[in-house]
Amino acid sequence: MTKLLKQARPRVAAHSDEPLLDIRGLRVDFPDVPGAPAIDGMDLRINRGEIVALVGESGSGKSLTALTVMGLLPPGAEVVGGEARLQGEDVLSMGSGRRNEIRGDKVAMLFQQPKVMLDPTARVGSQVAESLRRHRKVGRRQARARVVEMLRDVGIPEPARRASSFAYQLSGGMAQRVMIAAALSADPELLIADEPTTALDVTVQAQILDLLKQKRDELGLSILLITHDLGIVSTMADRVAVMYAGRIVENGTTKDIFDDPQHPYTQALLKASLLEAERGQLFSIPGSVVQARSLEHGCRFLPRCPVAAQLGITDMCRGEEPTLHTCGEHEHHSRCYASREHAEAG
Amino acid sequence: MLTFLIRRGMTLVVTLLVVSVLAFLIPYAGEGDPARKILRARVNDPALDPAQVEALTKELGLDRPLYVQYVDWLREVLTGGFGFSFTSRTPVQELVVPALGVSVSLALAALLLALVFALPLGIWAATARGGKVDNAVTFMSQSAVSAPEYWVGPVMVLIFARYLGWLPSGGWTGPAYIVLPATALALRPLGYFTQVTRAAMSDVLSAPYITAARSRGLSFPRTLVRHGLRNSMLPVMTLFSFWFAGLLGGSVVVEVIFNIPGMGRLLYTSVINNDVPVIQGGMMLILTLAVVINTVTDLLYGVLNPAIRVSSHA
Repeated sequence: MTKLLKQARPRVAAHSDEPLLDIRGLRVDFPDVPGAPAIDGMDLRINRGEIVALVGESGSGKSLTALTVMGLLPPGAEVVGGEARLQGEDVLSMGSGRRNEIRGDKVAMLFQQPKVMLDPTARVGSQVAESLRRHRKVGRRQARARVVEMLRDVGIPEPARRASSFAYQLSGGMAQRVMIAAALSADPELLIADEPTTALDVTVQAQILDLLKQKRDELGLSILLITHDLGIVSTMADRVAVMYAGRIVENGTTKDIFDDPQHPYTQALLKASLLEAERGQLFSIPGSVVQARSLEHGCRFLPRCPVAAQLGITDMCRGEEPTLHTCGEHEHHSRCYASREHAEAG
Repeated sequence: MLTFLIRRGMTLVVTLLVVSVLAFLIPYAGEGDPARKILRARVNDPALDPAQVEALTKELGLDRPLYVQYVDWLREVLTGGFGFSFTSRTPVQELVVPALGVSVSLALAALLLALVFALPLGIWAATARGGKVDNAVTFMSQSAVSAPEYWVGPVMVLIFARYLGWLPSGGWTGPAYIVLPATALALRPLGYFTQVTRAAMSDVLSAPYITAARSRGLSFPRTLVRHGLRNSMLPVMTLFSFWFAGLLGGSVVVEVIFNIPGMGRLLYTSVINNDVPVIQGGMMLILTLAVVINTVTDLLYGVLNPAIRVSSHA
């Protein structure tokens, strides 16, 4: 079925070196809330067929980034700067009509709580068909046949019967499979998955992640995977971007980030997840991301940073905020004075 | 589903039995005995002849123990009769059934009128929360809620019947006669329906599945129609059935003001005349219909939201 769709609409291969999604200097603010913008100068690139993980603790601005790209910001939030180009087209400046056209067609989204993302009063199949019917001129009967096919494709047993189920009749895992079918029904280029397995059992988590990987391989889909679970990141992602207080503090290939983390925040995150995985111990980074918003200038992680004091560079960190600079491998960047290039230069 | 319906049916029978006891006893809730009151009204003499009172009591069957009267009455109700009116001597059903018909049409006209305006207004306000439209709608609905029929009715008669002469001021002999009373009756439910629609729709519009539907490329209006309406209609439906049941015998004021031969006015005059069988028959009819309306509403919940159907099984 997906082959059929692809024949009908070949992917644009002309600018294949251009990133699929290119976010530059994105700033999103809640004007009524005092303090620095929730997303404050964020850059992120996703290439075709790539799985990029966006990690960071709650409140760092991960989900808000996703909603910004979707054009579905909650009331009160406002884009105040930057651009987000999807296949070269800035999604932040486009009109609502064009937005409706690209949602589901070019970019689709998965959410954290699959069961509440389904309309309780509508049959599952009709919701899976929505994107398809909206973006590909497909008749009711034809859509119905494709829905069954798609549900089978995401591993739902008895797909014909399941298509007429309601959300309450599905388990969390089943509901997320349905959401995947719904998201992919119009064959989008980019899938934004916002904590897609956080609400699911561990065994179901692995199945859903496998399914997403399989879809990436089959369809050449790009995935922006938002998570705070570094275990998931290591098995899924090609590249990782670490977000702190509305900015990317480090990015690089998954190998770079895990083997050679440069930013103290990344190091702390890894330490926390390692301790938990190996000894069942909980390590926490003292302080919270909230206090970072009140800083006027300087590094936002400074109040929680163990490294600055050790190296005696606190004054420098308190001055001008470090930029995101290359360290080592050219794909590896860190926003810290203590990370490799800066340390060597200093 | 079948066991659900059977259980529902059994509940219905029990409820109706309780209702029949209530309907039967209500006329006796007042003070004094009916025979005495009827005689006093007839002969206009405060000192009644005890023999006369006794004769009338016997004639009306009021000398028997209350439970015997109840069983007799219930037996008659089950075969479709309600006895004879004390005052007009006609079969009670010939009085209450047409009156109920009038009240049902009046109530439906009023509530549908309210709904036709309340749904769009409430939805409009919900989509523009905190804006000018929302504030205007909130103000209007609050004004409507606090507009009593005994004030709105006469004012409307003055304006539309007396001064403008567009509509009849009272009576019940043609379609034009329903306009003023239905409008007067519609005002308060209109206010409540608008407020509930606005609240329910606001809730639904911030529900996660609305965001999910939008993420598939549905426009806002289309999302509202496809996913918003059905989900927000439950509370509106509840309120609608509540008002419908309430207006069956509760539109006394409007029926009296506009001289409409409905149930409210019939019960009102029967209470004044101590016409026990008419009160009993009318109450029985109203309460039965109210119970039926509630049951139908419950069943409709399940139709609107299948998850509710399941939880009521348990």
